[in-house]
Amino acid sequence: MTTVLAPVEGAAVGLAAVPDPVFSAGMVGPGTAIDPLRGPGKAVAPIPGKIMKLHPHAYVIVGDDGKGVLVHLGIDTVQLKGEGFRLLAAEGDRVSAGQPVVAWDPAVIEAGGRSPVCPVVALDAAAESVTGVVQGDVHVGDALFRWD
Amino acid sequence: MVERKVVIAAEVGLHARPAATFVQTAAQAPFEVTVSKGGQAPVNGKSILAILGMDARQDDSVVIRVEGDGPEAEELLNRLAEICETP
Repeated sequence: MTTVLAPVEGAAVGLAAVPDPVFSAGMVGPGTAIDPLRGPGKAVAPIPGKIMKLHPHAYVIVGDDGKGVLVHLGIDTVQLKGEGFRLLAAEGDRVSAGQPVVAWDPAVIEAGGRSPVCPVVALDAAAESVTGVVQGDVHVGDALFRWD
Repeated sequence: MVERKVVIAAEVGLHARPAATFVQTAAQAPFEVTVSKGGQAPVNGKSILAILGMDARQDDSVVIRVEGDGPEAEELLNRLAEICETP
């Protein structure tokens, strides 16, 4: 069982609230999304493991059991080509849960006309394997959902 | 076994929508599907984790392999190739 932690502070709103059908329809996988607190912040690792993939706008952490969690910082933010994001770790690094990975400011993303909402997705997971999904306010490092 | 080399056309690469669509299409098929980029070891085409990890960008070429024969395997290969080649 993996407990997936909130990578950012804000309100857990569920994947259905993500303004991108790839996420809202669960095509990437089950999980939830956080509408982040506006202002400078640090997105952290939701589970302990290795940073398998690190883009400025998104990252995947894989635990020792092979489970991968995707954190996507805002929607359509790949188009920013890294602008407004600062990497605090490197691809291949081992991280503990809660360790900062990317510094960013959701307010800047929003000012640029994009949604800063952050999908947090269990990759290759069956929908029913994700339970205990928290709704409402979360702080960085709070439990967000369970993945069995 | 049928395989084809295709060039990733989407600006986002084989990520986001193209990646999710690819994996969903592959996962529904009764054949093993692998993808390899630039001569690297093939990865599981039914795993979103593996596809995101492969990190194929726009203009990268990848080889899609379907472990099956006959019209059904060909049809699947066509659909997967089309996903990769759609801008």
